Formats: sequence, C-alpha cells, structure tokens
Amino acid sequence: MKSKAKQNLSLLLFVAPALIVYLLFKLIPAISGMFYAMTDWNGFYQDFQFVGFANFGEIFTDKPFWHSVWFTLKFVVVNLLLSNGAALALAYYIESIRKGKSFFRTAYYLPNMISGVISGYMWMFIFTKVLYYFADNWGWAFLDHSWIGDPNYSFIAIVIVSAWNSCGYLMIIYIAALQGVSPQYIEAAQLDGGNGWQIFWKVVFPMIRHALTICIFWSLNNGFQMFDTVYTLTGGGPGRATQTVALNIFEEAFQGNIRYGYATAKSTVLFLIVFSITLLQLRFMKMQEEEL
Amino acid sequence: MKKKRSIYSWIVTCILALGVFICWFPLLMALMNSFKTNRELFTNIIALPSSLKMDNYIRTWEKMHYLRSFCNTAFLAVLAVILIVVFAAMAGWKLCRVKTRLSSFLFGLFVFSMLIPFSSIMIPLYRMILTLGIKNSLAGLAFVYAGMSVSMTIFLYHGFVKSVPYELEEAALIDGCGDIKRFVLIVFPLLRPITFTIIITNVLWIWNDFLLPLIVIGRQQQYTLLLSTNTLFGQYSSDWTAILAALILSALPMILFYSIFQKNIIKGIADGALKG
Repeated sequence: MKSKAKQNLSLLLFVAPALIVYLLFKLIPAISGMFYAMTDWNGFYQDFQFVGFANFGEIFTDKPFWHSVWFTLKFVVVNLLLSNGAALALAYYIESIRKGKSFFRTAYYLPNMISGVISGYMWMFIFTKVLYYFADNWGWAFLDHSWIGDPNYSFIAIVIVSAWNSCGYLMIIYIAALQGVSPQYIEAAQLDGGNGWQIFWKVVFPMIRHALTICIFWSLNNGFQMFDTVYTLTGGGPGRATQTVALNIFEEAFQGNIRYGYATAKSTVLFLIVFSITLLQLRFMKMQEEEL
Repeated sequence: MKKKRSIYSWIVTCILALGVFICWFPLLMALMNSFKTNRELFTNIIALPSSLKMDNYIRTWEKMHYLRSFCNTAFLAVLAVILIVVFAAMAGWKLCRVKTRLSSFLFGLFVFSMLIPFSSIMIPLYRMILTLGIKNSLAGLAFVYAGMSVSMTIFLYHGFVKSVPYELEEAALIDGCGDIKRFVLIVFPLLRPITFTIIITNVLWIWNDFLLPLIVIGRQQQYTLLLSTNTLFGQYSSDWTAILAALILSALPMILFYSIFQKNIIKGIADGALKG
C-alpha cells in the first residue's frame, strides 16, 4: 500500500486541472461576489469603495427590482404548473398507446433542441403576424390581442413559449420514470375495478414521485433564471412590465448605468431567494417520498 | 375488452398526432414563409410558397456570416466539451478511488456550489474574465464553460466510478502500470456510457447558451450563431422573410444533430436527469 502522502499527491495531480478552472470561473466569482455587493464599483471608474450594506438598503426601495421579482415568481409558478402538467399528460398518454411511442416521443421533444433565443423570435412571428391573420381572415376574435405590447397578454405569450421549449425535456424524464412502473401493479388495480383516473393517481403517480421531485427542481431553477426568451420576445417591455430578475440584473450591469456593485447585490438577493426555495422544495418533496 | 382498448388507443393516437401538428406549427410556419417574398408573405401567410426561392437564404447567409458563426460555435462547443470530459473524468476517478480526508474535502468543495445559479455569479465572473484578459476569446470562453460545468460532471463521474469494479485497475497496478497509463488505457474506456451522456447534455447546453457569450464576446469576428442571429434581428426588424430564413439556418445544426442522434440524446437526457 502506498503512503497517504503519495496518494494525496497523485490525487492533487489529477484534480488540479478541474480545480483550477472551477476556482477561477465558479468559486472565486461566487465568493468575491459577496464582497463586490458591498462596494460602489461601476463601469466608469477603475477603483471603488467599500460601502457596507448600502446597496442592500437601496434594494429595499428599488421598485423595478421588486416588480421583476414578483413577475418572475408569477412566471415560475404558472410555467411550472403548465409545463409539468402538459409533460406528465403527454408522457402518460404516449406510454398508453401501442404503436408509435417512439415517433411521438421524438416529435414532442424537438422544440427543446431549439434555443430560447430562436424560439423567442420564431414565436414573435407567430404572435405578431400569424395570429392576426387568423383573427382577420378566419374570424377567430379571441386571438386578436396585442400579444407583445400588452403586459397581460405578453405574460401569457412568455409562458407559452417557455412551456413549449421545456415541455419535451420534462416529458422525457416522466416517460423514463413511467417505464420503471411495472405493468403488474396496473393490471392488479384494473382487476380490483379501478378506473383509469384512479389508477393513475393512486398507483402510478406515487411510483414516479422521484421524477416529479427532479422535474420541479429543474423547473424552479430554470424559471428563476429566465432570460433568453424574454430578452428576445419582449425585451422586458413594454417599459419594464415583463422584466425578469435576470433581465433586471443584466440591465443594471451591462446597459445604461453599469453599476456592477449594485447589480451584484441584486444577484446575491436572487441567489438567496432561489437557494431557499429550492432547498425547501427538496426537503419537502424528499420527506413526502420517504413517507410512501 | 380487447376491442375497447384498441379503439381507445386509436383515439389517443389521433389526439397526439394533432398535438404534434400544433407543437410543430411555429417551426412549419417559419420554414414555409422563409421561402416567400415579403409581398407573398403579407398576402397569405398560411399558404405554401409558390416556389422554393432561396433568395432569403442567400441574403442572410452572407449577412450573418453563417459559415464563420457556425465554425465559432462548433469550435467553442467541441473545445469546451473536451475540457469538461477530460478534467472531470480525471478528477472524478481519483476522488472516488483515493480515500483520504483531502479527497473528501475536495469532493465537498466541488459539489457544494452546484446550486449557485449563473445569474448570481455573472458579474464577478465578468470581472474575472476581464482580469485574465480573455474577453472576446472563444478558447477562453471554453475554459469558462469547463469551470462552470465540472462540479456537476465530477459528481456524475464520481457516482459512475463507484459502480465500476476495482479488480481491473488492481491487476494493472500489480503489473506496474502508472497512474496516467491506467487512467487512459483502463479507466477511461470503462466510463464510456456516462461520458456519452455528459457529452450530449453539455453540447446541447453550450450550443444553445446565449447570455454568457452575449456578455463575453463583443467582436463580430468571434460571434456565435445565436449572437449573429440576434444582431441580424436588430438590423432587419421588419424584413420577416430574411429573419425567418436566419432562424431556420441557425436552428438547423441542432435539428440535424437531433435527427442523427435522437435515440442517444433522449436516453442521455433521461439518464443525466434521473441519475444526477
């Protein structure tokens, strides 16, 4: 057996490349962020001063920021319910048919391959041109709205595009979980006279709980960081009506004011929000999983 | 009973087929209208194009420097994925096999930051990139992606190595095989299944990522496909036929990638999520 020191040396040699890039581009930024959040660092001057918690005090009264937090929360909840509901339904019905499973799986996953930027522009075409065509020529008046210009409707538009984008991914995870449910349980429940709805909620659903935990975790994490689709679809507008937190931070840091220190303070607040919500979700759902 | 089941199966299949049409509708509309002239587009947006005119594609191909943007994106994704796989496989293997206090400390150090969202480190990361002088550098950006991805990837490799029997490595060790040789010849080939999953998920992520290149890459020479598309949209804001052609062009590589590797991609996504 080699000595401890020798083992550690060879460990360090193998870990070094990963450790260096990790320190440079993740850990040091994460830790130094907490320091920059307490400075007045901006893009105009080289040096900056330590200002303590002043930035955090300013955040308290920053209305556009809290509006973006509220908007993001609303978006996260609606998007989570819509995309997970749709993904679960698709997964369940695709698995229930006899022929063509793999065709449907492939077909519904496709939108996930298209980046948020392209999806945003593509759907902008649908919302600003194609839907008007239906409204004008086919008399479908319910489509006749200012989808991009009116904040209420652009919220719906953003949710639709984002669910369209992420639904396929979630569906794949639900399908994999459903395939792990042994058909014997379902047959037994059928013999006991359960109907489709009962069997799904009482037998199948509890057995795919772990997939639900993963998918909700993923949706939360992605939702809070929503940027691409909103950036291209509405640009956060009209005004700042559809601005997400990520967009608000981006605007603060890279457009206009270039207040890096203040923007970093905002991103620290975002981190605390995301961290506590995902931690709560994991705790809560793991507890439920164990109860079963 | 049998008959009832097959009728049910038919109805569900029909509804699912209709769903596919709705799901693909934006793509089909974009594709159809990208072959039209602007005048054709405004007279009847849902009609098929009268002929397959390539004018829009030729126009945007040059305007968005398609070939250059494509090569930039491919270079970035390939280099980043190589770095991620090599760095993380080396580290994940050793972290799993060496059982010292230092080893568990390092593993903990990597894993604990997995929950930090990108938008929270965005600005300090930008400063780091300025300090290192790698702004506008695609190769530098590949290292940034590696740094952001290694913690998750090490976690996956670490878990996988645990399930690989130690006997093979032990035999090689007795034969006097050094660390590097053992890793390259014996361990790395055994990690193939998880490596494949890691390659797929990282290629998809890096290829479709927008915010990081938007911050780091400021020179047109180094633009990725998405950055070029974004710029083009700004210049052509009302010329929809050109924009649609550009969107189709920039979505095309991923759609082709998907049609070739669909089985592997779907399996990779499911494995990556359920095991990670």
